[in-house]
Amino acid sequence: MVKLEFEHRQAGHCENGVTSNLLNYHKFKISEPMVFGIGAGLFFSYLPFLKMQHAPTTSFRVWPGMVFDRTTKMLGIKTRVHRFREPRESMTKLNEVLEQGYPVGLQVGTYHLPFFPPEYRMHYNMHNLVIYGHDNGTYFVSDTLMERLVEISYDDLMRVRYAKGVFAPQGRMYYPIHVPDNIDIKPAIIKGIRKTAYNMVGIPFPLIGAKGIRYLAGRMRVWEKNLGPDRAAYYLGQVLRMEEEVGTAGAGFRYIYGAFLEEASRVLQQDWLREMSVEMGENANQWRAFSYYGSRNCKKRGKPEQSYDFLADMLLDCADREEKIFKKLAKIK
Amino acid sequence: MHQEEKQNSEQTEEGLLYTYNRELFYHFDKEKGFSREIDYQVPANQTIIRQSWDAAEQRLDEVRSLIRAGKRSPIAYYMEKTLMEIPILADYMEMGKWRIRRHMKPKGFKKLKPEILEKYASIFGISVDALKNPEL
Repeated sequence: MVKLEFEHRQAGHCENGVTSNLLNYHKFKISEPMVFGIGAGLFFSYLPFLKMQHAPTTSFRVWPGMVFDRTTKMLGIKTRVHRFREPRESMTKLNEVLEQGYPVGLQVGTYHLPFFPPEYRMHYNMHNLVIYGHDNGTYFVSDTLMERLVEISYDDLMRVRYAKGVFAPQGRMYYPIHVPDNIDIKPAIIKGIRKTAYNMVGIPFPLIGAKGIRYLAGRMRVWEKNLGPDRAAYYLGQVLRMEEEVGTAGAGFRYIYGAFLEEASRVLQQDWLREMSVEMGENANQWRAFSYYGSRNCKKRGKPEQSYDFLADMLLDCADREEKIFKKLAKIK
Repeated sequence: MHQEEKQNSEQTEEGLLYTYNRELFYHFDKEKGFSREIDYQVPANQTIIRQSWDAAEQRLDEVRSLIRAGKRSPIAYYMEKTLMEIPILADYMEMGKWRIRRHMKPKGFKKLKPEILEKYASIFGISVDALKNPEL
Protein backbone atom coordinates (compact mmCIF):
# COMPACT_ATOMS: atom_id res chain seq x y z
CA MET A 1 0.00 0.00 0.00
CA VAL A 2 1.18 3.48 -0.92
CA LYS A 3 -0.62 6.74 -0.27
CA LEU A 4 1.36 9.88 -0.97
CA GLU A 5 0.56 13.23 0.63
CA PHE A 6 -0.98 14.78 -2.46
CA GLU A 7 -2.81 18.09 -2.39
CA HIS A 8 -5.92 18.00 -4.57
CA ARG A 9 -6.77 21.31 -6.19
CA GLN A 10 -9.49 21.70 -8.79
CA ALA A 11 -8.56 23.40 -12.02
CA GLY A 12 -10.20 24.96 -15.06
CA HIS A 13 -8.62 22.35 -17.28
CA CYS A 14 -7.27 18.86 -16.60
CA GLU A 15 -3.78 18.97 -18.08
CA ASN A 16 -2.85 22.37 -16.63
CA GLY A 17 -4.20 21.28 -13.29
CA VAL A 18 -2.35 17.96 -13.31
CA THR A 19 0.93 19.66 -14.25
CA SER A 20 0.51 22.37 -11.63
CA ASN A 21 -0.46 19.87 -8.91
CA LEU A 22 2.40 17.50 -9.75
CA LEU A 23 4.95 20.32 -9.57
CA ASN A 24 3.36 21.54 -6.37
CA TYR A 25 3.99 18.11 -4.88
CA HIS A 26 7.68 18.56 -5.69
CA LYS A 27 7.66 21.81 -3.68
CA PHE A 28 7.58 24.02 -6.75
CA LYS A 29 4.66 26.41 -6.38
CA ILE A 30 3.20 27.27 -9.76
CA SER A 31 -0.36 28.31 -10.55
CA GLU A 32 -2.59 26.79 -13.22
CA PRO A 33 -2.52 29.92 -15.44
CA MET A 34 1.29 30.02 -15.20
CA VAL A 35 1.55 26.42 -16.41
CA PHE A 36 -0.86 27.16 -19.23
CA GLY A 37 1.05 30.27 -20.32
CA ILE A 38 4.53 28.79 -20.17
CA GLY A 39 3.32 25.62 -21.88
CA ALA A 40 1.79 27.80 -24.64
CA GLY A 41 -1.51 25.95 -24.35
CA LEU A 42 -3.75 28.50 -26.06
CA PHE A 43 -4.63 27.69 -29.65
CA PHE A 44 -7.37 27.64 -32.19
CA SER A 45 -7.97 25.28 -35.05
CA TYR A 46 -11.01 24.32 -37.08
CA LEU A 47 -10.67 20.99 -38.89
CA PRO A 48 -13.76 20.30 -41.01
CA PHE A 49 -12.25 17.15 -42.52
CA LEU A 50 -11.71 15.52 -39.10
CA LYS A 51 -15.11 14.50 -37.75
CA MET A 52 -15.67 13.83 -34.08
CA GLN A 53 -19.07 12.75 -32.82
CA HIS A 54 -20.48 13.34 -36.30
CA ALA A 55 -19.41 16.98 -36.63
CA PRO A 56 -16.24 18.91 -37.57
CA THR A 57 -13.56 19.26 -34.92
CA THR A 58 -12.86 22.62 -33.38
CA SER A 59 -9.99 22.84 -30.96
CA PHE A 60 -9.25 25.70 -28.58
CA ARG A 61 -6.00 24.29 -27.23
CA VAL A 62 -2.85 22.49 -28.32
CA TRP A 63 -2.58 18.69 -28.64
CA PRO A 64 -2.80 16.73 -25.39
CA GLY A 65 0.49 16.24 -23.59
CA MET A 66 2.09 19.36 -25.00
CA VAL A 67 1.43 21.60 -22.01
CA PHE A 68 3.17 19.24 -19.59
CA ASP A 69 6.08 18.59 -21.96
CA ARG A 70 6.70 22.22 -22.81
CA THR A 71 6.30 23.62 -19.32
CA THR A 72 8.71 21.19 -17.73
CA LYS A 73 11.19 21.50 -20.59
CA MET A 74 11.23 25.29 -20.47
CA LEU A 75 11.72 25.26 -16.71
CA GLY A 76 14.48 22.66 -16.88
CA ILE A 77 12.54 20.11 -14.83
CA LYS A 78 13.50 16.46 -15.29
CA THR A 79 10.59 14.23 -16.24
CA ARG A 80 9.81 10.72 -17.36
CA VAL A 81 7.19 9.80 -19.97
CA HIS A 82 6.23 6.21 -20.81
CA ARG A 83 3.88 4.46 -23.19
CA PHE A 84 3.38 0.71 -23.27
CA ARG A 85 2.15 -1.79 -25.78
CA GLU A 86 1.23 -4.28 -23.07
CA PRO A 87 -1.51 -3.07 -20.64
CA ARG A 88 -0.37 -5.19 -17.67
CA GLU A 89 3.16 -3.92 -18.02
CA SER A 90 1.89 -0.36 -17.79
CA MET A 91 0.16 -1.15 -14.50
CA THR A 92 3.26 -2.81 -13.03
CA LYS A 93 5.31 0.23 -13.96
CA LEU A 94 2.70 2.49 -12.37
CA ASN A 95 2.94 0.59 -9.06
CA GLU A 96 6.70 0.72 -9.20
CA VAL A 97 6.81 4.49 -9.70
CA LEU A 98 4.27 5.07 -6.93
CA GLU A 99 6.40 2.98 -4.59
CA GLN A 100 9.39 5.15 -5.41
CA GLY A 101 7.32 8.06 -4.08
CA TYR A 102 6.26 9.88 -7.25
CA PRO A 103 2.63 10.73 -8.00
CA VAL A 104 1.93 9.99 -11.66
CA GLY A 105 -0.04 11.82 -14.35
CA LEU A 106 -2.05 9.62 -16.73
CA GLN A 107 -3.82 10.25 -20.00
CA VAL A 108 -7.14 8.37 -20.05
CA GLY A 109 -10.35 7.93 -22.03
CA THR A 110 -13.52 9.15 -20.31
CA TYR A 111 -16.15 6.67 -21.49
CA HIS A 112 -15.42 3.99 -18.87
CA LEU A 113 -14.34 6.32 -16.07
CA PRO A 114 -16.69 5.21 -13.24
CA PHE A 115 -16.49 8.29 -11.03
CA PHE A 116 -16.92 10.73 -13.90
CA PRO A 117 -20.09 12.84 -14.19
CA PRO A 118 -22.42 10.72 -16.36
CA GLU A 119 -23.15 13.58 -18.76
CA TYR A 120 -19.48 13.68 -19.79
CA ARG A 121 -19.02 9.95 -20.43
CA MET A 122 -18.31 9.99 -24.14
CA HIS A 123 -15.42 8.56 -26.12
CA TYR A 124 -13.00 11.33 -25.38
CA ASN A 125 -9.37 10.35 -24.95
CA MET A 126 -7.71 13.56 -23.91
CA HIS A 127 -8.49 13.59 -20.21
CA ASN A 128 -5.73 13.70 -17.59
CA LEU A 129 -5.64 12.72 -13.94
CA VAL A 130 -3.15 11.95 -11.18
CA ILE A 131 -2.72 8.64 -9.35
CA TYR A 132 -1.18 9.24 -5.93
CA GLY A 133 -1.36 5.81 -4.35
CA HIS A 134 -2.77 2.31 -4.43
CA ASP A 135 -3.95 -0.31 -2.00
CA ASN A 136 -4.84 -3.88 -2.84
CA GLY A 137 -6.03 -3.23 -6.40
CA THR A 138 -7.67 0.12 -5.66
CA TYR A 139 -6.03 3.27 -6.95
CA PHE A 140 -6.32 6.72 -5.39
CA VAL A 141 -7.15 9.40 -7.94
CA SER A 142 -6.92 13.17 -7.97
CA ASP A 143 -8.97 14.40 -10.92
CA THR A 144 -8.95 18.19 -11.30
CA LEU A 145 -12.49 18.17 -12.69
CA MET A 146 -13.87 16.57 -9.54
CA GLU A 147 -14.64 18.33 -6.29
CA ARG A 148 -13.25 15.49 -4.17
CA LEU A 149 -10.62 12.79 -4.30
CA VAL A 150 -11.88 9.56 -5.85
CA GLU A 151 -10.87 5.91 -6.32
CA ILE A 152 -10.75 3.48 -9.22
CA SER A 153 -10.20 -0.27 -9.49
CA TYR A 154 -7.27 -1.96 -11.24
CA ASP A 155 -9.41 -3.25 -14.10
CA ASP A 156 -11.22 0.02 -14.70
CA LEU A 157 -7.97 1.95 -14.65
CA MET A 158 -6.35 -0.40 -17.14
CA ARG A 159 -9.39 -0.09 -19.36
CA VAL A 160 -9.42 3.72 -19.47
CA ARG A 161 -5.65 3.82 -20.03
CA TYR A 162 -6.17 1.69 -23.12
CA ALA A 163 -9.23 3.42 -24.54
CA LYS A 164 -9.23 3.43 -28.33
CA GLY A 165 -10.03 6.00 -30.98
CA VAL A 166 -8.60 9.42 -31.86
CA PHE A 167 -5.63 10.32 -29.63
CA ALA A 168 -5.67 6.92 -27.92
CA PRO A 169 -3.69 7.25 -24.67
CA GLN A 170 -1.79 3.94 -25.12
CA GLY A 171 -1.13 3.86 -21.40
CA ARG A 172 0.70 7.19 -21.45
CA MET A 173 2.08 8.11 -18.02
CA TYR A 174 4.24 11.07 -17.07
CA TYR A 175 5.78 12.48 -13.91
CA PRO A 176 8.47 14.94 -12.84
CA ILE A 177 11.38 13.32 -11.02
CA HIS A 178 13.65 16.22 -10.20
CA VAL A 179 12.98 19.94 -9.80
CA PRO A 180 16.21 21.97 -9.66
CA ASP A 181 16.62 24.74 -7.07
CA ASN A 182 16.25 28.43 -8.00
CA ILE A 183 14.39 28.10 -11.25
CA ASP A 184 14.13 31.43 -13.08
CA ILE A 185 10.70 31.48 -14.66
CA LYS A 186 11.11 34.83 -16.45
CA PRO A 187 12.73 33.56 -19.67
CA ALA A 188 10.23 30.68 -19.76
CA ILE A 189 7.32 33.15 -19.59
CA ILE A 190 8.71 35.19 -22.47
CA LYS A 191 9.31 32.11 -24.60
CA GLY A 192 5.83 30.82 -23.82
CA ILE A 193 4.20 34.08 -24.87
CA ARG A 194 6.21 34.20 -28.11
CA LYS A 195 5.24 30.63 -28.94
CA THR A 196 1.53 31.30 -28.35
CA ALA A 197 1.67 34.51 -30.39
CA TYR A 198 3.28 32.57 -33.24
CA ASN A 199 0.58 29.88 -33.04
CA MET A 200 -2.23 32.41 -33.07
CA VAL A 201 -1.07 34.91 -35.71
CA GLY A 202 2.14 33.60 -37.27
CA ILE A 203 1.23 30.26 -38.88
CA PRO A 204 0.49 30.78 -42.58
CA PHE A 205 -2.42 28.35 -42.75
CA PRO A 206 -6.08 29.38 -42.99
CA LEU A 207 -7.55 26.94 -40.45
CA ILE A 208 -5.32 27.87 -37.52
CA GLY A 209 -5.21 30.79 -35.09
CA ALA A 210 -7.11 34.04 -35.66
CA LYS A 211 -7.47 33.11 -39.35
CA GLY A 212 -9.11 29.86 -38.29
CA ILE A 213 -11.69 31.73 -36.24
CA ARG A 214 -12.51 33.86 -39.30
CA TYR A 215 -12.76 30.77 -41.49
CA LEU A 216 -15.17 29.16 -39.03
CA ALA A 217 -17.25 32.36 -39.00
CA GLY A 218 -17.48 32.20 -42.79
CA ARG A 219 -18.61 28.57 -42.76
CA MET A 220 -21.14 29.28 -40.03
CA ARG A 221 -22.99 31.74 -42.28
CA VAL A 222 -23.81 29.00 -44.79
CA TRP A 223 -24.52 26.12 -42.36
CA GLU A 224 -28.24 26.67 -42.23
CA LYS A 225 -28.55 26.90 -45.99
CA ASN A 226 -26.28 23.93 -46.72
CA LEU A 227 -27.15 21.55 -43.88
CA GLY A 228 -30.67 22.48 -42.80
CA PRO A 229 -31.60 23.83 -39.36
CA ASP A 230 -31.07 20.57 -37.40
CA ARG A 231 -27.57 19.78 -38.64
CA ALA A 232 -26.61 23.45 -38.39
CA ALA A 233 -27.68 23.51 -34.74
CA TYR A 234 -25.74 20.31 -34.10
CA TYR A 235 -22.58 21.69 -35.76
CA LEU A 236 -22.92 24.87 -33.73
CA GLY A 237 -23.45 22.82 -30.58
CA GLN A 238 -20.26 20.90 -31.32
CA VAL A 239 -18.26 24.12 -31.50
CA LEU A 240 -19.78 25.25 -28.21
CA ARG A 241 -19.17 21.91 -26.52
CA MET A 242 -15.53 22.10 -27.48
CA GLU A 243 -15.50 25.65 -26.22
CA GLU A 244 -17.16 25.17 -22.87
CA GLU A 245 -17.34 21.55 -21.89
CA VAL A 246 -14.92 19.33 -20.08
CA GLY A 247 -11.39 19.06 -21.40
CA THR A 248 -11.41 21.90 -23.87
CA ALA A 249 -13.13 24.72 -22.03
CA GLY A 250 -12.32 27.17 -24.82
CA ALA A 251 -13.70 30.41 -23.44
CA GLY A 252 -12.28 29.12 -20.18
CA PHE A 253 -8.88 28.98 -21.85
CA ARG A 254 -9.11 32.66 -22.77
CA TYR A 255 -9.77 33.47 -19.11
CA ILE A 256 -6.89 31.33 -17.94
CA TYR A 257 -4.60 33.01 -20.45
CA GLY A 258 -5.73 36.43 -19.24
CA ALA A 259 -4.97 35.43 -15.65
CA PHE A 260 -1.57 34.25 -16.85
CA LEU A 261 -0.83 37.61 -18.48
CA GLU A 262 -1.76 39.37 -15.28
CA GLU A 263 0.59 37.16 -13.27
CA ALA A 264 3.30 37.59 -15.92
CA SER A 265 3.07 41.38 -15.68
CA ARG A 266 3.79 41.12 -11.97
CA VAL A 267 6.68 38.68 -12.35
CA LEU A 268 8.31 40.47 -15.28
CA GLN A 269 7.38 43.93 -13.99
CA GLN A 270 6.06 44.99 -17.37
CA ASP A 271 2.90 47.05 -16.94
CA TRP A 272 1.72 46.80 -20.52
CA LEU A 273 1.07 43.09 -20.01
CA ARG A 274 -1.54 44.06 -17.46
CA GLU A 275 -3.40 46.04 -20.11
CA MET A 276 -3.17 43.02 -22.40
CA SER A 277 -4.63 40.83 -19.66
CA VAL A 278 -7.64 43.16 -19.42
CA GLU A 279 -8.10 42.95 -23.20
CA MET A 280 -7.84 39.17 -23.00
CA GLY A 281 -10.43 39.11 -20.21
CA GLU A 282 -12.84 41.13 -22.32
CA ASN A 283 -12.17 38.87 -25.26
CA ALA A 284 -13.00 35.88 -23.03
CA ASN A 285 -16.27 37.53 -22.00
CA GLN A 286 -17.09 37.96 -25.68
CA TRP A 287 -16.49 34.24 -26.28
CA ARG A 288 -18.73 33.40 -23.35
CA ALA A 289 -21.44 35.68 -24.73
CA PHE A 290 -21.08 33.89 -28.07
CA SER A 291 -21.66 30.53 -26.44
CA TYR A 292 -24.59 31.90 -24.47
CA TYR A 293 -26.36 33.22 -27.55
CA GLY A 294 -25.35 30.18 -29.57
CA SER A 295 -26.80 27.77 -27.01
CA ARG A 296 -30.27 29.20 -27.70
CA ASN A 297 -30.15 27.54 -31.09
CA CYS A 298 -29.34 24.17 -29.54
CA LYS A 299 -32.50 23.59 -27.55
CA LYS A 300 -34.62 20.59 -28.27
CA ARG A 301 -37.40 21.53 -30.63
CA GLY A 302 -37.91 25.15 -31.47
CA LYS A 303 -36.55 27.33 -34.20
CA PRO A 304 -33.13 28.94 -34.18
CA GLU A 305 -33.45 32.04 -32.03
CA GLN A 306 -30.26 33.71 -33.15
CA SER A 307 -29.31 34.14 -36.76
CA TYR A 308 -26.05 32.48 -37.77
CA ASP A 309 -24.91 35.79 -39.26
CA PHE A 310 -25.19 37.40 -35.84
CA LEU A 311 -23.10 34.61 -34.27
CA ALA A 312 -20.54 34.75 -37.08
CA ASP A 313 -20.16 38.49 -36.51
CA MET A 314 -19.45 37.82 -32.84
CA LEU A 315 -16.75 35.36 -33.87
CA LEU A 316 -15.20 37.90 -36.23
CA ASP A 317 -15.06 40.32 -33.33
CA CYS A 318 -13.22 37.69 -31.23
CA ALA A 319 -10.81 37.02 -34.11
CA ASP A 320 -10.02 40.74 -34.42
CA ARG A 321 -9.42 41.06 -30.71
CA GLU A 322 -7.14 38.05 -30.59
CA GLU A 323 -5.19 39.13 -33.63
CA LYS A 324 -4.63 42.55 -32.07
CA ILE A 325 -3.58 41.09 -28.71
CA PHE A 326 -1.16 38.54 -30.09
CA LYS A 327 0.42 40.89 -32.65
CA LYS A 328 1.36 43.07 -29.68
CA LEU A 329 2.41 40.13 -27.51
CA ALA A 330 4.71 38.83 -30.26
CA LYS A 331 6.96 41.85 -29.61
CA ILE A 332 7.62 40.95 -25.98
CA LYS A 333 11.21 41.33 -24.74
CA MET B 1 -25.07 42.06 -18.98
CA HIS B 2 -25.83 38.59 -20.28
CA GLN B 3 -25.01 37.18 -16.84
CA GLU B 4 -28.27 38.38 -15.26
CA GLU B 5 -30.29 37.63 -18.34
CA LYS B 6 -29.11 34.04 -18.08
CA GLN B 7 -30.38 33.74 -14.51
CA ASN B 8 -33.85 35.02 -15.27
CA SER B 9 -34.70 33.41 -18.57
CA GLU B 10 -33.04 30.00 -18.48
CA GLN B 11 -33.02 28.85 -14.91
CA THR B 12 -36.78 29.05 -14.52
CA GLU B 13 -37.45 27.62 -17.95
CA GLU B 14 -35.41 24.42 -17.74
CA GLY B 15 -33.69 24.30 -14.38
CA LEU B 16 -30.35 22.58 -13.90
CA LEU B 17 -30.14 19.12 -15.40
CA TYR B 18 -26.74 17.99 -14.29
CA THR B 19 -25.77 18.46 -10.66
CA TYR B 20 -23.42 15.56 -10.12
CA ASN B 21 -20.25 17.54 -9.61
CA ARG B 22 -19.18 21.15 -9.25
CA GLU B 23 -16.32 22.41 -11.41
CA LEU B 24 -13.93 25.30 -11.30
CA PHE B 25 -14.65 28.24 -13.60
CA TYR B 26 -12.76 31.42 -14.34
CA HIS B 27 -14.45 34.79 -14.64
CA PHE B 28 -13.41 38.27 -15.59
CA ASP B 29 -14.81 41.60 -14.55
CA LYS B 30 -13.32 44.94 -15.56
CA GLU B 31 -13.33 46.28 -12.00
CA LYS B 32 -12.54 43.12 -10.06
CA GLY B 33 -10.19 41.43 -12.51
CA PHE B 34 -9.94 37.64 -12.79
CA SER B 35 -11.59 35.31 -10.31
CA ARG B 36 -12.18 31.60 -9.82
CA GLU B 37 -15.39 30.03 -8.66
CA ILE B 38 -16.60 26.49 -8.04
CA ASP B 39 -20.08 25.85 -9.35
CA TYR B 40 -22.30 23.68 -11.56
CA GLN B 41 -22.33 24.23 -15.29
CA VAL B 42 -24.62 27.16 -16.15
CA PRO B 43 -27.93 26.36 -17.90
CA ALA B 44 -26.64 27.57 -21.28
CA ASN B 45 -23.83 24.99 -21.15
CA GLN B 46 -26.16 22.29 -19.93
CA THR B 47 -28.32 22.92 -22.99
CA ILE B 48 -25.45 22.17 -25.33
CA ILE B 49 -24.41 19.08 -23.35
CA ARG B 50 -27.93 17.76 -23.57
CA GLN B 51 -28.08 18.46 -27.27
CA SER B 52 -25.41 15.85 -27.90
CA TRP B 53 -27.27 13.25 -25.79
CA ASP B 54 -30.50 14.02 -27.64
CA ALA B 55 -28.68 13.58 -30.95
CA ALA B 56 -27.31 10.22 -29.77
CA GLU B 57 -30.82 9.12 -28.79
CA GLN B 58 -32.11 10.16 -32.20
CA ARG B 59 -29.39 8.21 -34.00
CA LEU B 60 -30.30 5.18 -31.90
CA ASP B 61 -33.95 5.53 -32.95
CA GLU B 62 -32.92 5.60 -36.58
CA VAL B 63 -30.86 2.43 -36.16
CA ARG B 64 -33.80 0.73 -34.43
CA SER B 65 -36.06 1.32 -37.38
CA LEU B 66 -33.35 0.19 -39.82
CA ILE B 67 -32.97 -3.08 -37.89
CA ARG B 68 -36.71 -3.65 -37.91
CA ALA B 69 -36.64 -3.10 -41.65
CA GLY B 70 -33.90 -5.77 -41.91
CA LYS B 71 -31.28 -3.35 -43.14
CA ARG B 72 -28.85 -3.37 -40.20
CA SER B 73 -27.49 -5.96 -37.78
CA PRO B 74 -27.40 -5.70 -33.95
CA ILE B 75 -23.75 -4.57 -34.21
CA ALA B 76 -25.00 -1.26 -35.57
CA TYR B 77 -27.43 -0.94 -32.66
CA TYR B 78 -24.90 -1.61 -29.92
CA MET B 79 -22.34 0.60 -31.58
CA GLU B 80 -24.72 3.56 -31.36
CA LYS B 81 -25.80 2.54 -27.90
CA THR B 82 -22.23 2.67 -26.59
CA LEU B 83 -21.79 6.02 -28.41
CA MET B 84 -19.14 4.63 -30.74
CA GLU B 85 -18.43 5.36 -34.35
CA ILE B 86 -17.01 2.99 -36.95
CA PRO B 87 -13.35 4.12 -36.57
CA ILE B 88 -13.47 3.68 -32.77
CA LEU B 89 -15.14 0.28 -32.96
CA ALA B 90 -12.67 -0.81 -35.64
CA ASP B 91 -9.85 0.22 -33.31
CA TYR B 92 -11.29 -1.79 -30.42
CA MET B 93 -11.89 -4.81 -32.66
CA GLU B 94 -8.45 -4.49 -34.25
CA MET B 95 -10.01 -4.86 -37.69
CA GLY B 96 -10.41 -2.79 -40.83
CA LYS B 97 -13.33 -0.39 -40.99
CA TRP B 98 -14.68 -2.16 -44.06
CA ARG B 99 -15.11 -5.39 -42.07
CA ILE B 100 -17.05 -3.55 -39.36
CA ARG B 101 -19.28 -2.07 -42.05
CA ARG B 102 -19.92 -5.54 -43.41
CA HIS B 103 -20.78 -6.88 -39.95
CA MET B 104 -23.27 -4.07 -39.53
CA LYS B 105 -25.42 -5.60 -42.28
CA PRO B 106 -27.60 -8.64 -41.46
CA LYS B 107 -25.95 -10.73 -44.18
CA GLY B 108 -22.43 -10.13 -42.86
CA PHE B 109 -23.56 -10.58 -39.26
CA LYS B 110 -24.99 -14.05 -39.92
CA LYS B 111 -21.65 -15.32 -41.16
CA LEU B 112 -19.70 -14.23 -38.06
CA LYS B 113 -17.59 -16.81 -36.25
CA PRO B 114 -18.24 -17.39 -32.52
CA GLU B 115 -14.85 -15.87 -31.53
CA ILE B 116 -15.63 -12.64 -33.28
CA LEU B 117 -19.12 -12.52 -31.80
CA GLU B 118 -17.57 -12.97 -28.36
CA LYS B 119 -15.12 -10.16 -28.97
CA TYR B 120 -17.94 -7.84 -29.99
CA ALA B 121 -19.95 -8.85 -26.94
CA SER B 122 -17.09 -8.17 -24.55
CA ILE B 123 -16.45 -4.75 -26.07
CA PHE B 124 -20.12 -3.82 -25.72
CA GLY B 125 -20.16 -5.29 -22.21
CA ILE B 126 -22.99 -7.78 -22.93
CA SER B 127 -23.48 -11.52 -23.47
CA VAL B 128 -23.38 -13.16 -26.89
CA ASP B 129 -27.07 -13.98 -26.46
CA ALA B 130 -27.94 -10.35 -25.92
CA LEU B 131 -25.84 -9.47 -28.96
CA LYS B 132 -27.80 -11.84 -31.16
CA ASN B 133 -31.21 -10.84 -29.77
CA PRO B 134 -31.11 -7.16 -28.86
CA GLU B 135 -33.99 -5.65 -26.94
CA LEU B 136 -34.68 -2.75 -29.20
